[in-house]
Formats: sequence, structure tokens, C-alpha cells
Amino acid sequence: MIEQIKAAFPNAENKDFDGNRLDITVNKETIPSVLLYAKDKMGFRHLSHIAYVDWIEEGEFELVYLLWSPVDKVKLFIHTRIDRENPVMENIDMIWRQANTYEREIKEMLGIEFPGLVAPDEFILEDWEDLPPFRRDFDTLEYVNRTFWHRPGREDAQDVRETIAERSGEEIPDFAQKYSR
Amino acid sequence: MYNDKNSQKIVDIIQNWARKHSIWVLAYGTGCGAIEIAPTMTSRYDAERLGIRGAATPRQADVLLVTGYLTVKTVKRVVRVYEQMQSPKYIIGFGSCTINGGMYYDSYNTINLLDKYIPVDVYINGCMPRPEAVIQGFVKLQQLIAEGKANGAQKYLDNLAEYKANQAKIAPHWIAKAPDYNW
Amino acid sequence: MREKATTIYLGPQHPGITGNMMVRLKVIGDTIVSAQTEVGYLHRAFEKLQERRNWLNSFTLMCRFCVPETDPMENLYARAVESLDNIEVPERAKYIRVMVLELARIATQLMWYAGQNGSMGLYTMGQWSIGDRDYILDLFEELTGGRVYHMYQWPGGVRRDLPEGFETKVLETMDYLEKRLKDYDDLMFANAIFQKRSQGIGIVPKEDIIEHGVVGPVLRGAGIRSDIRIDEPYEVYDKLDFEIPTQEGSDVWARALVRRAEVHQSIRIIRQVLDQIPKGEITTKIPNPMKWRIPKGDTYVRAESGRGEVGYFVASDGSIHPRRAHLRGAAFVHAITLLENILPGQNIADVSVIMNSLGTCAPEIER
Repeated sequence: MIEQIKAAFPNAENKDFDGNRLDITVNKETIPSVLLYAKDKMGFRHLSHIAYVDWIEEGEFELVYLLWSPVDKVKLFIHTRIDRENPVMENIDMIWRQANTYEREIKEMLGIEFPGLVAPDEFILEDWEDLPPFRRDFDTLEYVNRTFWHRPGREDAQDVRETIAERSGEEIPDFAQKYSR
Repeated sequence: MYNDKNSQKIVDIIQNWARKHSIWVLAYGTGCGAIEIAPTMTSRYDAERLGIRGAATPRQADVLLVTGYLTVKTVKRVVRVYEQMQSPKYIIGFGSCTINGGMYYDSYNTINLLDKYIPVDVYINGCMPRPEAVIQGFVKLQQLIAEGKANGAQKYLDNLAEYKANQAKIAPHWIAKAPDYNW
Repeated sequence: MREKATTIYLGPQHPGITGNMMVRLKVIGDTIVSAQTEVGYLHRAFEKLQERRNWLNSFTLMCRFCVPETDPMENLYARAVESLDNIEVPERAKYIRVMVLELARIATQLMWYAGQNGSMGLYTMGQWSIGDRDYILDLFEELTGGRVYHMYQWPGGVRRDLPEGFETKVLETMDYLEKRLKDYDDLMFANAIFQKRSQGIGIVPKEDIIEHGVVGPVLRGAGIRSDIRIDEPYEVYDKLDFEIPTQEGSDVWARALVRRAEVHQSIRIIRQVLDQIPKGEITTKIPNPMKWRIPKGDTYVRAESGRGEVGYFVASDGSIHPRRAHLRGAAFVHAITLLENILPGQNIADVSVIMNSLGTCAPEIER
């Protein structure tokens, strides 16, 4: 199967392990044609999900298309990288209808634009004005401290540990002293 | 209609006795805890022997059971539903997420203290609370009703501006369009 | 003159919907013209929270993804970390995991009985099946300590061994449930109201059904024999002998028959597991979680829950926190794309029946 992909798309790299998983990495412009080829000619009819990782230190987003072939029983992972400054990606919901929902979530959570995606704007969050929340530079604890209240009295659980240590006569171990909420 | 311990006239005692033995819970599963309501209301830990049964709409319910964590989107609906309920009405906070945020204390979408947005009468802690703990919570609510101390609705009416200010902090756009509290 | 359509919100507070979600319907008279699902009422940002916990802490978050059926999620996390870090799991742990997964599957299908009948107004079934489901929850409580959230399967095995006399209790419960299945048949499948309200309702079109991402009992109700336990066997499913029931018809009635047959098969699997279980260790020791670093890589594991395929994608970058964890719920496609496509043409009263039959579970969709 690897030879088939290499013959059709000469600039894809691959690695194969576990006997039932295949990875290829392609350029983002070739994604629609690679996906169509995999779906029609190679039998990968089931799109499980479109997963995403934010590599902030390399300045890129990574999208992984997870495909499955019910006849050959093989998983195919198609990785691409998108630039983080101006993230735009092709819309593929004419190939698989459920990609509409997956792309709505990616657009809301990571901020990648999909031109041609027909869907209402808000999917999960309502009236959200901050950064797209699943980027690595969005600090969720700082947002929580700013917007919500914590119950007073147990800020970092230090008093519980000290009380237990006094009552039982033991010492607080080293790693517990450094670890706070 | 709301009494405190000083004015336990015979009318109030009978009224509270009748109210505490027929508590109708609104059918709204807001979070995780909805899964332990089903065993509580059906044949094993039968809650109907205490007079507790489900009600379909807010206007027919007595108790709003906030089962678990609330996201910002759900808080708006819960507040609106609470304002639609007729007094006397009570709120039970179910699970440890209503007490101090629980496991999701650092999530940007869940609130940590339920008490700041709507007045809570009884808390049931646990993750999940067992059905016996749920029934214990209802028994405690019955005690509070009998003594005349379950005054969450009155507290909401008295401190309305403060509750509204807290709600506006997390949902400014919704507060601007929300109707007044004069249902 | 054409009538204008009214908009109805089958909203978050409704006795008929499965969980906290909303379906916005446009109706003319009693027939639905278009539907739109709205989710987001239960979004806790699990994946962001998992990035802040280390590799051992985040397994406590995993079971809370989907509330009715919590064990497949723990299994996914354990298998994902084991595949990233190449940890070996002892045989006895695998058999115990299979038993726990099948017990959870039976409990979910019993709860589905209650939901499906309750949506049609037949409330007796709910009283029976949730009462019987409690016997399974008692077994869980004895084994793991909790009724709903078990936190029992961690990377490397399981946490506790089977207590004394546990196997006898499980076998007694299985015998009792098999007798009750006959009672359920008389009450539910022989009931004329249930038959009339479920045959011909909620038909999922069979062409391109795999391309549309349909999984689980909905796919098996359309005649396609597909199940992750035989397509990509995990744990010890390749050593056990069971069938995958399918039905043609693809309506609510066919899916109900498929689920009822699955309960039967699960009981069969549990009996085989208790026959074949070997003695031995139950867990491999995991390293100190404060210092446990996993080499860089990513993986996607799948399991079959009572509602379909659940998948879990994990990417790690060599530190003590997961880089990215992403769960694909079983109902992700059913509740949004599939529901919006099969609702036009049905009556308002059937929306709840269809939602229960497709197995839409709101917490899984928006995690």
C-alpha cells in the first residue's frame, strides 16, 4: 500500500509500524486530492476524526486526518502542518459530510479559517471574546482567577497538610512541600 | 408567606408540613449528577414514598436540583428557569462542583461557586453522591422547611442587585438583554 | 398560499431529550421542516485540563467524559499510554478489563431500555430496568469502590484484584439478568404500542452509510457487520467467542433488536471470561509520576462502547504533561450531522424517540 501512495504522490514521506497503522506527511495544498484518492481508490472510507496539535515552539499547527479502511483493516494517519501566523486550510466537507462538524470545532478552538465552510458561527462557546482557547498561549488558570471566584479558606491546601502533620507527629515529605495547586 | 422561627403560628406549621411532604423536582439534568437521579426516583431507592416526583416545567416545580458543574452557557438558562419558578422554591446544590469547583476548578468554562449567582439552600457533597445521600439531602431540606429557614427565594429578592452584578461579570451580553425579575 | 414555519426550541430543559443539549426545530403544523442541533452546555475543556495534569493525574479525568458509560474511556487512556511507552500488561489484568467493559455495556443497554420506553410514555420499563441495573452497580461498587466513576483501569493494568467470592456473585447476577430478559421481551417487544411507534420511524438511509461516519448499533441496524472488537481486537477479544448481531431495516425497531441481542452476547462473554481467567499479577509497576516522561510520538486507539466507536488521540512531546489529548465521542456524528439529516419529515413527538435510538449522549460531544 505504501508503494501505491508513493506512486501517486511523490512528495509524501511515511513511516509504518505495528502492522496496522500507516503515517504519511504531506503538504497542506495536496490534502484534498490525497483524501479523495484514499477514499475512492484505496478504500479508506471512514473518517474517524480530524485531530490537531499546537506546536507553538515551531510556530505551526499540525492537523492529523485519521482514516480507516473497513476492508483492509488498516488505519491511515495523514499529517500536515499549517503556519501559525495566518492559518488557513481547505474545507473538505464535500468529501465527507461529517467533516463539517469537525471543522467547526477546529475553527472555534484553534482559530483556523476554512473558506467555504457553511455553518453557524458559534458551536460550543457562546459570546467568547478572548483568544481561541486551545492555543498554548491561552492560560486557563489565569482566566479563571480573573473571572470566577474560588471558595475562600483552602487556597493551596497548606493548612490541611499542616494540621495533619501536627496531629500525627509526622513530617511533610519533600515533594508535597514543593507541590501546590 | 416566609416565616422565621419567631412566628410559628398554627397556619404556618400546617402550611410547612404540607409543603415539605410534596416536593416536586424540575426535570433538568444540568450535569453529571443526572445519572444518579434515575436510581433515586425508581424502584430501588424509591424517593416517591417521601413525596418527591418529577415535574416537567418550571412553573410546576418546587425544587431546582443543580446536579453538578455548570458552564457559563448553562448558568444563563438556569437563572432564567429559576426566575420563572413560583415561590416557594428551593435550590439544592448537588455534588462537589457546586461547592468549590470540584475537579474542574481551573477550567475556563465552568463556574466555581454556585452561591454567587443563585441562592442555594442545601448542598449534597460527593462525586457522585449515592442515592442514600441524595435522600438525606432532601430530608435535610424538609427539616429546614419545617423550621422556616429555607428562605433562598427571599434572599434572592432582597439582594437582587448583588446577584445580578455577579451574573453580569460572567455574561455581560446576556444581562443586557434579559428581562426584569417581575415574573 | 405557503405557510410560514414556526421555530420551536426543544431546549435544554425538557423531559424528553437525552442530556443537556438543544435541538432547534422549524415546523409547519406537526411536521418538521428543518432541524439544527446546538451543543455546548456541558463543555468543560477537558483537553486543556489534561495538559495541566501529569500522566497519572489525567486518568482521573478520563472517566468523566461520558456519564452513562464510563469504562471505555478509562480503557482508552490506559491503552494509549501503554502504546506510547511500550508497557506490557499482564494477562489477568486484560481479562479483568474485558469483564468490567462488558458489565458496563450491559448497564448502558439497561439504561437505554429505560430511556427508549420513557420517550414513548411507557414508564414501567424504566422502573424495572434501572432497578436491575443497580445490581450491576453493586458489583462495581464491591470491585472498584464507586458506583458510577470507577477509576479502576490505569496504564499498566488494573488497580485492585477481584475480592473473595466475587466470581460467584457475578455469575448469579448474570443468571438473574437472563431470566429478566425474557420478561423485558414480553413487556417491550410484544407491546403493540412500542411496535407501532418504532417501526418505520427514524430510518437512516443505507447508501454511503460508512462514508457518513455512522458507527455502532446504528450501523449494525442497517445490516453492516462492523464492530471494533472483531475489526481491530484489543485486550483479549480475539480469544473469546461471540457473535455480532445485525438487522436489516435501519429504523428504531431494528436498532432496538440489535441492542437486545448485544446484552445477550455480553452475558455470554462474561461467562467465558470467568472460565478462562488465569492467575497472576494484576498490574505492571509504573514509574514515579512526578518524573515520568514519555517519548515523543502520537497514537490513536479505539474501543467499542455501547453506543459506537470511541477514539482517543494522544500526542506527547517528552515532558511530564500530555501535549494534546483528544477524544472522539461515539455520538459526535449521530447527534449533529445525522440527526439534522433524518429529522425533516418526522413528527415532533418522534424526535425524542429518535434521539434515544441513535444513542446521543451530550457530554461526549463537547467534552
